Amino acid sequence: MTVASHVKQTLASLKGTQAALKNMAAVEQEEQAQKLLKNSADKLEYIIEDFQHRLKTLEFEEPQYKGF
Amino acid sequence: MPEWLNVLIRSAALFALTLLLVRLMGKRQTAQLTFFDLVTAIVLGVLAAAVSLNIISVSKGLVALAVWTVLPILISLLSLKYKIVRDIVQGRETILINHGKVLEDKLMEARLTPEDLLSKLRQKNIFQVADVEFALLEPNGDISVHLKKDKQPLNAKTMGINVAEETVPQTVMLDGIIMDEPLRAMGLNRNWLHTELEKAGVAPENVFIAQVDSVGQLYLDLFDDAVKVPKPTARELAYYTLKKCQADCEIYALSTKDAEAKKMYARSAEELSEITEHLKPLLLK
Repeated sequence: MTVASHVKQTLASLKGTQAALKNMAAVEQEEQAQKLLKNSADKLEYIIEDFQHRLKTLEFEEPQYKGF
Repeated sequence: MPEWLNVLIRSAALFALTLLLVRLMGKRQTAQLTFFDLVTAIVLGVLAAAVSLNIISVSKGLVALAVWTVLPILISLLSLKYKIVRDIVQGRETILINHGKVLEDKLMEARLTPEDLLSKLRQKNIFQVADVEFALLEPNGDISVHLKKDKQPLNAKTMGINVAEETVPQTVMLDGIIMDEPLRAMGLNRNWLHTELEKAGVAPENVFIAQVDSVGQLYLDLFDDAVKVPKPTARELAYYTLKKCQADCEIYALSTKDAEAKKMYARSAEELSEITEHLKPLLLK
């Protein structure tokens, strides 16, 4: 596997977990826990953005591995 | 009228009357009966029995019953309002052990022998007086005990463990029947429940009990105990996926040669470790 595909895998995991956290936050009734879940999902958003940015660079450097 | 018929009618009438009187006297739980309540109850019982067996005349009996009902009601109303009345009628609590020392004069006041005290402590699972910091005798004869700090049961706070606050799980299915109200209280609906059941591969008719925890995980108990229900793992999965992502970031940070990317990966790894640390009490338990 290439570097780009590894990074893509991690990115997918991050996105999946972020969705799971948001899901829990939607159901959670207790205010503090809900806030914690929401905050964590928001923080993950920044990391996901960084990864997406990095991925663009990688794909630019090695266009033959673009896509999946 | 034969004697037995007389007794029958009196008894039935008194039965109804006593029931009414007892209801009138309010519903202090029998477990909290003070000595005074007990005396009142016995007197009422004896009077009712005496009248129904024609030992005393009906008029006399009714007057006595009325007095023994009205006075306790009056006193309980007064005692709600005035502490002095409360202290006299219900008695006050007596401190039996203070700062770990048995107060012998108080024990005497409460007419308790040392054996009584030990037996009462044993009923609370305390076999050594030295473990007790403070104990008092409640007006109803029960004993309440505060243990010394080092003998108190362990909890999350004394262990310095951070735990997440959690709301009570809601029971959403009982005996195969979906309960709409608890579902709504969680902000969920039947559609959600059907999807979750499908995910678990379980038919709704087969569910005996289904409960939803605070983050929406479904716990099932089935009629058919041979069917194995998957344990919900959404929380653990989220936690360990984040951990894995953190490890990935660390690997990328080590393997990349691009200085800026290295910094970005290192920062992400750090942030992820912070997030997992915060989420740990909520996701792992």
